Amino acid sequence: MTTATRTGHAPPAPLRARRPLRPARVVLHVFLAAVAIGWLFPILWAVLTSLRSYEYTAVHGYVSLGGWTLDNYLTAWRTAEFGRHLLNSVYITVPAVLLTLLLASCVAFVIARFSWKANLVLLGLFTAANLLPQQALLIPLFRLFTQVPLPAFMSDSELLYDSYWGLILVNVAFQCGFCVFVLSNYMKALPRDLYEAAMVDGASIWRQYWQVTMPLCRPALAALATLEVTWIYNEFFWATVLMRTGDKFPVTSSLNNLRGEFFTDNNLVSAGSVLVAIPTLVIFFLLQRQFVRGLTLGASKG
Amino acid sequence: MSRPRSHAEYLSRLVPPSVAGLRRRSLLAGAAGGGVLLGTGLLAGCGDADPEGSGSTTVSLGSNQSDPKPKEVTAKVMDGFRASSGITVAVNTVDHNTFQENINNYLQGKPDDVFMWFAGYRMRFFAGRGLAADLSDVWSGLSGMSDAFRKASTGDDGKQYFVPSSYYPWAVFYRKSVWQQYGYQVPKTLGELTTLAAEMKKDGLSPIAFADKDGWPAMGTFDILNLRINGYQFHIDLMAGKESWTSGKVRTVFDTWRGLLPLHQPDSLGRTWQEAAQSLQQKKSGMYLLGLFVAQQFRDDEQDDLDFFTFPEIDPAVGAKALDAPIDGYMMARRPKAEDNARKLLAYVGSKAAADIVVKNDPSTLVANSEADTSGYTALQRKAAELVGSATEIAQFLDRDTRPDFASTVIIPALQQFIREPADIDGLTTSIENQKKSIFTD
Repeated sequence: MTTATRTGHAPPAPLRARRPLRPARVVLHVFLAAVAIGWLFPILWAVLTSLRSYEYTAVHGYVSLGGWTLDNYLTAWRTAEFGRHLLNSVYITVPAVLLTLLLASCVAFVIARFSWKANLVLLGLFTAANLLPQQALLIPLFRLFTQVPLPAFMSDSELLYDSYWGLILVNVAFQCGFCVFVLSNYMKALPRDLYEAAMVDGASIWRQYWQVTMPLCRPALAALATLEVTWIYNEFFWATVLMRTGDKFPVTSSLNNLRGEFFTDNNLVSAGSVLVAIPTLVIFFLLQRQFVRGLTLGASKG
Repeated sequence: MSRPRSHAEYLSRLVPPSVAGLRRRSLLAGAAGGGVLLGTGLLAGCGDADPEGSGSTTVSLGSNQSDPKPKEVTAKVMDGFRASSGITVAVNTVDHNTFQENINNYLQGKPDDVFMWFAGYRMRFFAGRGLAADLSDVWSGLSGMSDAFRKASTGDDGKQYFVPSSYYPWAVFYRKSVWQQYGYQVPKTLGELTTLAAEMKKDGLSPIAFADKDGWPAMGTFDILNLRINGYQFHIDLMAGKESWTSGKVRTVFDTWRGLLPLHQPDSLGRTWQEAAQSLQQKKSGMYLLGLFVAQQFRDDEQDDLDFFTFPEIDPAVGAKALDAPIDGYMMARRPKAEDNARKLLAYVGSKAAADIVVKNDPSTLVANSEADTSGYTALQRKAAELVGSATEIAQFLDRDTRPDFASTVIIPALQQFIREPADIDGLTTSIENQKKSIFTD
């Protein structure tokens, strides 16, 4: 675009609105459309299926139209008790995200602002933990959790196992690595002068962290919070293996309630999946900007 | 994960060797932490916030009955228990598939006092690992349980670990209206079955509906052919890894099956059992070998049109008296928090009173207790109960009668391969035998 202005004899802006249609451009757009449809197709298919009655699709097959109904949504909501399980998801997600961000920002602050020998090792440790396959830790964690007692007022299981506390801890532990990595890179990019000025004014370390760094990190924290809410909300594995009481399952695990012992109504499961996906979609559309920023955050070191 | 080299290694993977130690240590930790936990172990009750002291009026139950109807029936049975004993049951319902996949974790973690499970190898396995409690004393108080059910509830050590509550048979289902229309007769022998199927083909029906997309329905066909050709004991020994898959006996089973395959619905690997059942319901197929749950695919007004017969005799010396009838029931955790209440609950769920409640509320299942008032049964249920009652032996279905890893990693792909290429029986049986040797190694 700028090349036109540089050559000097570019026509005024309104006149150069249409560019000639080149084959490469056509190919590009066909490709983009195909990819977009490829990504959207499963979701649209699920939505379409969820709006049709099982009786109709059983007779006419899924490649047909008709049998429209909203009953699947009502049934899914009721049989899988999504109301209760969504609340369970909130119990796990909200504290886990807040705790992750708090702890990660503390570590990131130290890594970014103080130069001491273990700095790189510390960052490496947190990042490496990210690469560890979670499933490999199942047995040790499971045994650990069945050995750690909790007082009865914290969990009726009286153990870390089968308690919200345990799930929150697991999620915090697994998400901290990524957040530390992102936040420390972000904090390193903050101007040093600020801290020098703060120190001259006699601000303590805590103050430098809480009142100087944290407000400046707001965009990074917002982006991370968006990502983390989605990830922790979507988390399914730990919630299935470290929970024993069906009523305490978060909404992702309780989606299984829609599968029958012998018979699974796929239309009903589709409706349930759409319901479960809605909160993530809402978060995404509300905080789209943060979301996209979150993806590139920490990619470059300021 | 690599395949375990030995039986012991396999078991050690399922049950970490440190479990025993773990329990001891966690008990100590519990004692240090609160002291309260010492007496009762770590098996705290579920769901309710009752203090330990009031444990005498509660008991917890882990339930896999997550489908709406069975869930409701379970709740009614538990209400009945509360009314008769004053003990409240805290039911922890986990969906059927998750419950099954998590059973190892569940039993080693902090299981409910009583939990629902299956008879057969799957029960004996956990009983053998010491993860379930001996229920012989509950059994001595039970009446109305047949010997076949007692046998199915007994562990390898001769003690009972399981209280059966309900079951369903596998049989060949058909629509009476279709059979009347064409004048078909129930076949008594394999020859008659083949003749009948050929007739159906002529009449434009798929003779035998068939589906194996999910992998397990074909096990039913294998089981029944094996039971008819080689008998019950061979089935049990084959499933326990004691008999060879390359033997002539197994080859005969596959050979017979190969002869029947052209009479089955083609392209079965891309079909779910629901779709196969619907072809029966839509009168496109003549008959279908499946469990009683096939009725779920029929509308209420079609239920009376559904009938069945047991798979016909193949070898007169073996007869046609054995069948697959998976039994569901209850077991007790190794260290229940409220043991007395748990035993009371188990005695209740095996009793006539509980069976009566089930009969009254659920038309899709049969109750184990023979003293139950079965006047509420539908014609189909009554016939199914008679069929199982007259059975000399009850098998539990292939995947309940053998090791889970053998059933899912060896048998499912093998049967699917057989359906795809029925010609190579030698190659197939050799491959199963080789894989079997690496799984059953003791």
